[in-house]
Amino acid sequence: MQATNKMQMNSASTKKSTINDAFASKFAKSMFLTVLGIAVLMFIGTRMFTHIDLNLYGYMVGTIVFLGGFFYRFIAWGERPPTKIILKKGLKLVFSKRTAKTAVSHLAIYDFIKKRGFYRWMQHVLIGWGCILACLVTFPLVFSWMYFTMDDNGYYTVVVMGMDLLEIKADGIIAWFSYNALNISAIMVIAGVCMALYRRAKNMQARAEQKFIYDLMPLYLLLFISITGLLLTIQNVFLHGWMQPQMSLIHQFSVILTLIYLPFGKLAHIPFRPMSVLARNYREHYGEQNMKACKVCGDHFVSVEQSNDVIHVLGVNHIEFNMEDGFNLAELCLPCRRKYRISRFSGVPTHQVKVKEANQNARG
Amino acid sequence: MVKKRLYLELENCIGCRSCLAACTQCGGHEQRNRNYVYDVNPLVNRQTMPLMCLHCVNPACARSCPAQAIQIHETGAVLSALVEKCIGCQNCTIACPYGIPKFDTEQNLMYKCDLCIDRTKDGIPPMCASVCPSNTLQWLTDEEIEAKQKQFNLDNGKWVTSMPYLEGETNVRVNLPGILQGVTKLF
Repeated sequence: MQATNKMQMNSASTKKSTINDAFASKFAKSMFLTVLGIAVLMFIGTRMFTHIDLNLYGYMVGTIVFLGGFFYRFIAWGERPPTKIILKKGLKLVFSKRTAKTAVSHLAIYDFIKKRGFYRWMQHVLIGWGCILACLVTFPLVFSWMYFTMDDNGYYTVVVMGMDLLEIKADGIIAWFSYNALNISAIMVIAGVCMALYRRAKNMQARAEQKFIYDLMPLYLLLFISITGLLLTIQNVFLHGWMQPQMSLIHQFSVILTLIYLPFGKLAHIPFRPMSVLARNYREHYGEQNMKACKVCGDHFVSVEQSNDVIHVLGVNHIEFNMEDGFNLAELCLPCRRKYRISRFSGVPTHQVKVKEANQNARG
Repeated sequence: MVKKRLYLELENCIGCRSCLAACTQCGGHEQRNRNYVYDVNPLVNRQTMPLMCLHCVNPACARSCPAQAIQIHETGAVLSALVEKCIGCQNCTIACPYGIPKFDTEQNLMYKCDLCIDRTKDGIPPMCASVCPSNTLQWLTDEEIEAKQKQFNLDNGKWVTSMPYLEGETNVRVNLPGILQGVTKLF
């Protein structure tokens, strides 16, 4: 009797239970942990919920709804076999030396967009950094991670995470930037969006390809947010606050609408973009480890890891390119793969002819 | 609008590379061609063949894309990477059985034949087929392609478009050339 009990206990303990067992799904877990994290941070930031700005509670609810959409979309996306591989292997390498450099280049200064054209880069910097700046101001205020108090001395105390961080003069330069941060970001976004809209109105190719819902609506949403936001300032400064409460509701509506829509349209590239840093890490790391030699010409063209991963991913999708000549097509460098295709069309072993492929660039 | 397809008669190719030049001029291609022309047996003869994206029904490039940047148009065209989504992993270049996608390292962006989607979505032939002087690249309805089959009058079951000589079902139809079949084409 005792022995069987012991055995039962053993079998129970060998099946290691993890935190995941507490949740019905990945979605539930992500959602619960994130909301819990926000609540804890709010508890600290608001000095035990004593300094919540209830004017902004609509944004709070909006953010929670956004998180629901975000996790729904992101988790579904992360389950795709190729995405899963890059996420998993990329995250393992996230603490490598390369990460910081690539992240700055891809996520902060958008080097690769500059190479696609200065105009596009400019508009992207204006919109991107306008939005980042706005988020950096808005969300700490919404969750009261940052707020301002004032004694009767003309100085504001900036409270960050419940700590009195610094005292600033109410008519000083730091204060001016704090009051106007959202105005500055609004102007940046309006300028960027106008550049984007101008391009989309004039560029014939953009005109042929763009769809209103996918390409233009996000721009109009950003414009809607920025203009209603700027109007709030104008109403306060020039119109003695006329219609300000109504406008603040309209502005709130515009922000919440955009937040909820964000994970599902073109704007989804914002939360997904860090993947490009992971992908670069993945390519560089495994490229340094072991490069694949082309099965025909012997050129090193990709890492062994990636070649195998692609073959695996295609296998999951029931696509197999194993040739009778004893190689998988993913093991051939690109020129050889093209020549091999020509040889399969013609019956002549083009890929075996030791001649470099002719110039394929129409511009010479 | 009648659905038309790109149809290739490979051995017609005279190697003029008009299709490459035309490709650079398509909207959105930014002066860079996305197709290829290969010498079949460069040390022996002058036969050339164009190599285009065949727009697979189940495209390996899109299946291997972690960012879902390669979209499939309702016409069946497998589009070039969406600029905002492409993360530059180059999975697609490894996955494509024909080695079609090109990669721009500086722009961190893949680009490939999109069958000139701004044209073909409205029934206008793609640039390459518009300019091909030797009827290697044609823009035809399925009926016209069937009529071609009768015209060739091979009657040996060897007139093939696409399968089983390709890696998978494709939207572009390829008439496998006489050199492979060991027959002379009858015009």
